[in-house]
Formats: sequence, C-alpha cells, structure tokens
Amino acid sequence: MDGRHQGASRQGSGAPSKESRVSESASGHALEMRHVSKRFPGTIAVDDVSFEVRAGEVHALVGENGAGKSTLMKMLAGSFDDYTGAIAIEGQVVLLHSPTLAKRHGIGMIYQELSLARPISITENLLAGRLPRRGLFLDKALARAQARELLAFVGLDLDPNLPIEDISQHEAQLVEIAKVLGNKPSILVMDEPTSALSREEVERLFAIIGDLKRRGIAIVYISHHLPEIFRIADRVTVMRDGKKIATRPVGEASREEIVQMMVGRSVREFYRRDERSIGDVRLRVRGLSRFGFFHGVDLEARRGEILGICGLSGAGRTELAKVLSGLDRADEGSIELDGEAVRGSTMADFLEQGISYLTEDRKTEGLAIRLPVDDNILSAIVDRLSRAAVFSKARGKPAVDRLIGELSIYPPDPSRTVGNLSGGNQQKVLLAKWLASEPRVLILDEPTRGVDIGAKMTIHASIEKLAREGCTVLLISSDLPELAGLCDRVMVMRKGHFIREMQYSECSEESLLLAANGDTGHGAIGVDSEGKAP
Amino acid sequence: MSGSSRAGAAPAAKREETPGGADLRAVRTGSFSSIMNTAGVYGIAILFLALGALLQATGAIGNFLSPQNLLNIVDAVALVGIVAVGMAFVTYSGNYADLSVPTTMGFTGYICIELLRYGFGVAIIGSLAVGLLIGVFNGLVVGRLKANPIIWTLAVNYVTMGVIRLVWVNKQIYPDMVGTQQHAVTLFDGIYRLRFFNLVGLPLVMLLVLVLVGQFVLTRTSFGIKLKLTGSSPRAAKLSGIAVERAIILSFVLAAFTATIAGLAVTSLSRVGAWYNGAGYDFKAVTAVVIGGMTLAGGRGTILGVLGGSLIIGILNNIMTLIGIGTFSQDMIRGAIFIIVVGTNALSLRRLGRDDA
Repeated sequence: MDGRHQGASRQGSGAPSKESRVSESASGHALEMRHVSKRFPGTIAVDDVSFEVRAGEVHALVGENGAGKSTLMKMLAGSFDDYTGAIAIEGQVVLLHSPTLAKRHGIGMIYQELSLARPISITENLLAGRLPRRGLFLDKALARAQARELLAFVGLDLDPNLPIEDISQHEAQLVEIAKVLGNKPSILVMDEPTSALSREEVERLFAIIGDLKRRGIAIVYISHHLPEIFRIADRVTVMRDGKKIATRPVGEASREEIVQMMVGRSVREFYRRDERSIGDVRLRVRGLSRFGFFHGVDLEARRGEILGICGLSGAGRTELAKVLSGLDRADEGSIELDGEAVRGSTMADFLEQGISYLTEDRKTEGLAIRLPVDDNILSAIVDRLSRAAVFSKARGKPAVDRLIGELSIYPPDPSRTVGNLSGGNQQKVLLAKWLASEPRVLILDEPTRGVDIGAKMTIHASIEKLAREGCTVLLISSDLPELAGLCDRVMVMRKGHFIREMQYSECSEESLLLAANGDTGHGAIGVDSEGKAP
Repeated sequence: MSGSSRAGAAPAAKREETPGGADLRAVRTGSFSSIMNTAGVYGIAILFLALGALLQATGAIGNFLSPQNLLNIVDAVALVGIVAVGMAFVTYSGNYADLSVPTTMGFTGYICIELLRYGFGVAIIGSLAVGLLIGVFNGLVVGRLKANPIIWTLAVNYVTMGVIRLVWVNKQIYPDMVGTQQHAVTLFDGIYRLRFFNLVGLPLVMLLVLVLVGQFVLTRTSFGIKLKLTGSSPRAAKLSGIAVERAIILSFVLAAFTATIAGLAVTSLSRVGAWYNGAGYDFKAVTAVVIGGMTLAGGRGTILGVLGGSLIIGILNNIMTLIGIGTFSQDMIRGAIFIIVVGTNALSLRRLGRDDA
C-alpha cells in the first residue's frame, strides 16, 4: 500500500555476529543478558534476547506495547524464577530468582507506580529496612541527616518528617527515585520515569541521570518518548514481539529508523481494512465535563464508525469512557443516543439503552475470573435472559457457543474457569461478554492490552465486523498502530480536552504520538505528508 | 477481512494447544463438580450417622438410634439449618457471615411475646418486620457504605443486645405474663411443638421449604445469578450493570428473615423471651455453611450442600452430648472442625492455582 516500511523485514538478521562480540568483551559490561527467554501460557513474552549495558551508559529500551520490554525488566527485578538463559553482572553469572536477590546484586528499579507507604514519613520510606540505630534505639538525628542527603541528591528541599501523603505527586516520584538510589545500585532500571513529572522535574531527572552516569552506574531506560531517548541515551535497543530487533548507538540511528524497527511492518499492511458504510449520527455528546478530569467534550460518532480516542495516560480518556457508559456522573453536558437524551443515571440504564463499556482493567473490573466462561459471557445480560425473575442459562447458550466460535476462544469449553485461560483468551471472553449485550455503542478501553498477536488479530477482526453490522465503536487505545489501522477518525485528547481530530488518512503511529504530545498538526515534523495515500 | 483474519487467528489457537499451555491448568467448574461436592457433604453426614451407630454398638453411648433421639437430631438440625440457609446468601454474596444473628433471634423473640397481647398474627408480622429491618440496616451499611461485614454485624449484635437489656431491664419475659389472649399463646407454643402426623415438626417443614425455595432462588433466578457474580467479583458485577448494592442488601434481608423464623421457634421452644435465645447459632450456622461446601470467598456453593452441612453439625452435636462432652469442649471441637474445613478448602484451591477462600 505504501513504500515506507519496505526495509523493515530485513532487520532481524545480523544477530549472530553480535553475540560473539558480546562474549569476548564480557568483562567490560555492568550487565549482560545472554539468550534470555520467558514464556507465559500460550505466549513467549521474551524470546531469546541478548542485550548488554556498560558501566556509565544509558541504554534505552524501546518497543510497542507488548513487545516484551516490561517482562525483560521484571526479569531483572527478580519477579520470575523460571526464565531461561543467563544474566551476568560484572561478568559473573547470577540468578535473579527473587526481588531480594536482584537487590543484593545491585539492581535498582524505578517504576511508574509509586512504591511508597503514604501515611509514614519520607525518612522512614527512604531508609526502609536500614534505618540507623544507636544501641537498641533508632538514631533519629542520623536518619534525618541521611534522608536529607538523599533528598538533596534529587534536588528536593523537603522536611523529611513529612508523611508521603502531604507531598505532591511529582515530589513523591523524586522521593521514589531517591529511595532506590539510597540502596546504591550499580544497575538502575527506569520504566517511563518521566510520565508523572512536570517539564522542570524532567530536566532535574536528566541532570540526576547525568550525575549517575559519571559515577559509573549502568542505566536501562524504558520510554515511549523518543525525543527523551535521543537526548539522554547512549545506545538504544529495539524490541518487537518479544524479540530483540537491533541495538544501535543513538548517534547513528534516526528517529525514522527506530520507529520502523518498532513497528516492523507497515501499519496499513497489517490492517487490511475493507470499506464500511458509515451511517447517521448515533452518539452525540455536547459540552460534557467531569471536573478535574475532562472539560467541555464535544463528540459525534456515527453508525458503523470506529472512532478512536488517543491520548497519553492521564489525558482523561478512561474517565470520559466511564461517564459515557453511565458508571460515573457528568458534572455538565449532555449525551444523546440516536437523537434522544440518554435516560437514567446508572450503568444498568445505559446498558439497557445500548451503551456498553469494556474496561481496561480485565482482572478486577472486567471478568469474574473465578467463574466459568459462560457465566462471564452472560453476566451483562442476566435480566434479558430472565422471564419473571427466573434466569435461563439455556436461553443464552446459543450466544455463548457462537461467540466462543467467532472469537476462537481456546479451549472452546464454556465451563472452564476464566482465570485459568491465557491472557489473550481472557480478553476475548471479556469482548464476548460485551458483544453478547448487542450494543448500539460499544466503548472499548484498551481492548488488546497485553495480549498476544493472534488474539489481537481476532479481536480487531471482531471489532471491524461489529462496525460493519452498524454498531458505533469508540476505541480508546495506547496502541498507536491499532488506532491508526482501525479507526475511521481519531480524536486526540490531552489534559482533559479534545485538541485535534484526525481522519484515517492523516493517522500514523508517529503523527498520533506527536498529536498526543500536544502537536497541533501545523508546521510540525513532516510525517503526515509522507508516503500516505489518502 | 473477516476471512483472512480468521485464518490468522487459527494458528494462534493451535499454538496454545502445545504442552504447558492453558489447557493443563484449566479446571472445570461446571454443575458436575458442584453436584459432587454436595454429594460429598451428604456422604460425610452418613459417615457421622454410622459413627453414632458404631458408638452405640460398642456401648459408648446409649440410644443413638432410638426414634426419640433421631427426632431430637432432626429438630436440632431444623433450627441450625433455618439460620444457615439465610446465612448462606450472605456468604455467597462475598460478605462472609451475618454475626448479628444471635441477638436478631433473641430480639425478635421478645417482640413476638410482647405483641402476643394484640393477637398471634400481629405478633408474627411485627417480629418479622423488626427482623427484616435489622437485615435492611445491615445490608445498607455493608452494601452501600462498604463496611466490613464481620465487624459491622458483630457491632450490630452487641448494640441489639444493649437495646434488649435497656428495654426489658435485663429481664426475661414469658408469654403468659402478657397474655390475656390465651389463644395467641397456645398458637405461639405451637410454632415449635406442632407436629404433622405426630412426627414431622413445623420447624422441619419450614426448613425443607426454605431449602427448596433457597436452592431455586440461588441457582435459577436472576437474583441468584447476580449474587453469584457479586460474590465472585463485586467490581466486575458492577461494571456489568448489576445493582450490586441491592443484591447485597437482599442477601442480608434473607439472613435476617431466616434468623427471625429460627428465633421465633427457639422462643416458642423455651417459652421465654431471653437475650441468650440465639446464642451460638452464629457460629453453628457459619460452620454448617462452610462444611456444606460454600466458600468464604463467595460465589460458590449450594443451599442443598448447606442442608447437608447442617445435618453434619446436628449429628455431631448430638453424639457429643450423648458421650457427655461439655458445652465448652463442644465449642472447641466445632471450632477445630471449622478451621480444618476452611484450611483444607483454601489449600486445595491454592493447589489448583486459584487464589481463593
């Protein structure tokens, strides 16, 4: 369809020569992972990856969602005791089978989510497990001094006696970093460390990273933000579908090339979409606000249309979905369905009028994982399958059988406990539950997060089929190729507002990423115009 | 598109069939296994009966198999069973247990006796209304305000106890004291004593009716299905458009309803309104529910199983009394059994890879 990504398929070769080089110079590496793999039931999350980080180097790890970055990171954190391959630190092969072992070998992890205890003081959080003592008693003065020193290192001037709940989110993120640094790691893994930080704090973090580099600490830096990587990383490793694609010095790689390696194939090749006829306006939203989350949202979605909602985490996408599905109340604004205001205020009311919502949180909000597949698929239509309060499972059986077949749920047995299916099949069951509700508007929140490629394709096909049948689909996703490939239009959301609307022809992974970061599409990097047939 | 993607999905499904995939871990939880569980409970009940017979044969206890003793067992089972059927709904809803049962039983007994002066019908309706109010109250606080059900119902138990002692100044009351209505008192005495064909007591009839209705409600009605989803995963149930609060409130109302019925029967049996009338029924009922195969995590179990659990508790109590084991030691043994059942249940589920119970 377009020639943009023709070279991508050849990227996977060239690995063997690299391997031999790795083993020769083993002693120079702070961290080496040799041919490591990790399997989950039904999928290989990390597939024979080799990768090394030098002391004093920032090594960026990039890849789409589900590429295996976070599994690789968890491996370093000691979350798995059944990975294969070898991990060497300073040339010594070590077993990272528990978090304690990982910590002992000098690996520090900085996660997106905070691991701080909110009600207790900064000091106690920073020095957890190694508070200084004098005799039997805590040496409070020394503890405070140590805490102050750590805080100063990350550029914070706070009273270390304050509880975490009394400081801001940004400050807490820096305290988290200080806590990890307090353990004096020789290898530091950072997973999207800037996602909760303001612009100035990002600068401060980069200064800290520069300082750590000078001290010879090896840093693995995971981020979706390519500009950050070009600023601070020395080398970048690209992963895709669990495999390492390539490692490049940052100076020798272009942004274009890295995106190509991440995506690996033309988006438009992967999503061979056919024409759908788009009908009248079905969902009309005017001036919808939920104060503190999103404001003045206007939206129109038509029959048979797949409308994407794109935005970084925290942009208000999920909050909007929860209001549109009746789970939360709007503070102002209106929602119309086929020209009539939506009645009622509960999720059950909205569901009855044909608005269904597939949650992003499959395990706690989406499925009753202790119950069998059929109970889950029928859980949203209990009343519809009941006559005079008597429920009939038999009445729902044809739908269950049809959906299990249509989504190729494996094993195809309605009596299996959902919790024992693979992640991809659980996600299919969740989709089946909402397909069974025969919605007029289906709101999908991250419908393919963390599923393998096969399940993803099945789910995509099912979404397209649903749209062809006239359903309106709102697709919220962080998976940019998914948005670019499936959606007729994408609304870009940033900090609680819709900032841009993009047609199918304008959407690419990169243009969406730029838009989500606040790019308005005028005079930006020339991606949109490049190689796209309308 | 749909054709090509279907072709794309098939290899993915095949890949999962390879060894070590989801298949080996998947566990059936169909109706068959629940039937087996229930059958197992009755098997244990029969074993206990056999144990009693054996003890009689060896001369350790007297007349275990005498008609009178068997009737005693059935009557005792009836009272525990009635409470357990209602309690089971609370457990099934994922809220563990209603510990306000003992004083709900005692309190409604007082109310009934006080109201006998206005006639039997008024007394029954009045005490049921009070019992249901306690249930609604518990349900609202646990369902809507998300209070911890154990702590909350325990508190309600003590508050109700305080109310009893305050209103009746620590006194027990007798039907004859309030009764100009001798007819009503006679009817009241009959709640426990009425026997069909000189054999089947009214409490037993009520138990059997409650079990049949309860089993139907739990497994066949939309309320039962919603309660199963609520008990299995309250968040997922809520996001399926299920009125989770309403389901939880109704489960506490049912627990209070059966506690009231049992309370009236116990009060009729002892012919006295006393705060201690329901003492011990909380734990007996919970034990019956758990032995009956209902998991404390919620969403799994049957009312027929709970009947079996009540039978086991009844037979066990009877044997222990015949042997001459004191009340405190009986409590200890029941407690030990409870721990063993919950423990093995949790262990076996963990072995199956389910984080549960």
